[in-house]
Amino acid sequence: MKEVINIKNISKYFGKFKALDSVNLNVLKGEKVVICGPSGSGKSTLVRCINRLESHDEGEISVLGHSLTDDRTCLESIKSKVSMVFQQFNLFPHLTVIDNLTLGPIKALGVSKKEAKERALYFLDRVKIPEQAYKKPNLLSGGQQQRVAIARALCLKPEIMLFDEPTSALDPEMIAEVLEVILDLANDGMTMVVVTHEMGFAKKAADKIIFMDDGKILEENIPSIFFKKPKTNRSKKFLDQVLNH
Amino acid sequence: MKSFKYIFVFFFLASLASCSSSSGNWGWYVIDPTTKSGLANIKFLIGGFGATILLSIIAAFMSIILGLIVALPGFSNNFFLRSLNRIYVEFIRAIPLLPMLFWVFYGLPVIFQSLGLKIEIDAFWGAVITLAISDSAFTAEIYRAGIQSISRGQREAAQTIGLSQFQAMRYIIFPQALRRILPPLANQFIYIVKMSAFASVIGMQELTRRANEIVVTEYRPLEIYTLLILEYLILVLLISFAVRWLEKKLGSNESNSN
Repeated sequence: MKEVINIKNISKYFGKFKALDSVNLNVLKGEKVVICGPSGSGKSTLVRCINRLESHDEGEISVLGHSLTDDRTCLESIKSKVSMVFQQFNLFPHLTVIDNLTLGPIKALGVSKKEAKERALYFLDRVKIPEQAYKKPNLLSGGQQQRVAIARALCLKPEIMLFDEPTSALDPEMIAEVLEVILDLANDGMTMVVVTHEMGFAKKAADKIIFMDDGKILEENIPSIFFKKPKTNRSKKFLDQVLNH
Repeated sequence: MKSFKYIFVFFFLASLASCSSSSGNWGWYVIDPTTKSGLANIKFLIGGFGATILLSIIAAFMSIILGLIVALPGFSNNFFLRSLNRIYVEFIRAIPLLPMLFWVFYGLPVIFQSLGLKIEIDAFWGAVITLAISDSAFTAEIYRAGIQSISRGQREAAQTIGLSQFQAMRYIIFPQALRRILPPLANQFIYIVKMSAFASVIGMQELTRRANEIVVTEYRPLEIYTLLILEYLILVLLISFAVRWLEKKLGSNESNSN
């Protein structure tokens, strides 16, 4: 299997605070990686480093064979190949759903308007809300908004999808509909890195589970072992708290 | 709310009129449209509207463009460009309008002369330039506040769908910021209309100057300045209504969760 993300020894500082501490991670093509851990453990920062929303201070990240630096050409080469879904959806409130979906393909990828629209309608269908295409995002429920955000990311036909706590801002009854869509993508063979507290989802979808605390990766394991016999006391304690609620 | 304003103006006028009948302090004859001289005075005073409006509109237009030009370097990653923005805003904002008007009208031609340039500045353009420059520091800050009020998530989402920084500004940030920028920008227009009265001191024939001239010949300051105030009131109320209408149309008053 081809390696699509290769993270070597990266560290990241916010002022004096060390958000990431010598992190190593490899992701293969088609692999689903779930990152979990307590708040402030550096999960989001790690994912944001992969598409350069944050820059790392030490170490090396290579994505799809391109080493990530401040160089603009490197950002050009991975742009739209790595897509992201945010906790807060971050839909563009002044645009309709369909315009949210077609803007990236048209302006960034140079896709024709007609094709962009067809693509958008296809993916809206895929996330099961084709009827909302011409509404403004604020008229949609949280779950629907997040599914639009997923469709928007898919419209770029990315090779890697990053999810940064995609269900944390949702009401409980909406979590399921969003997870279902993500699971559907996972079964389709998309390479995914997902930060989440949804352990049920991790059990079902993950090839690999990463447990982080204090900016370090404490454990990397396959789900069946991670949930039964976690290697560290810290991950055992975390699992107790998450699973018994 | 609207009708309330009209009622207020009506009562204000009515109370002034009643003053005139009950005591001898008021001499409304000076602007009584039924007399020949009164009508001439009114025509002369109202004739200042054109200059005040033209002056304000051109100055506001220039300020809106200049303000944007000043605001843009403020978003740069380059320290030098950012400093340029800060220095301009802080410096221009610190100069009172009247001294700046004197400097532009009386001082700038001296500089032009010493440079061998034959550029003359008349009262109209002296006032326009001064108002535009003075106001541009404020419009620049309005742009900055509006653009900064758009959440970081919007910028990040724009980046993750592959937009360049310019495209993100053009399609995502600016259209959203505009709804928040327009109301304060319109407020700034009201400010310009009022400050245009300063143009009277360099001889510009606008509302205030004309009022002063009639006061000198007729010696009825109370009545004429009362009318002058009402003239500005009408102008500003008209702008207010226009702004409300614009806000409704743009949905600036809608709450936006994102």
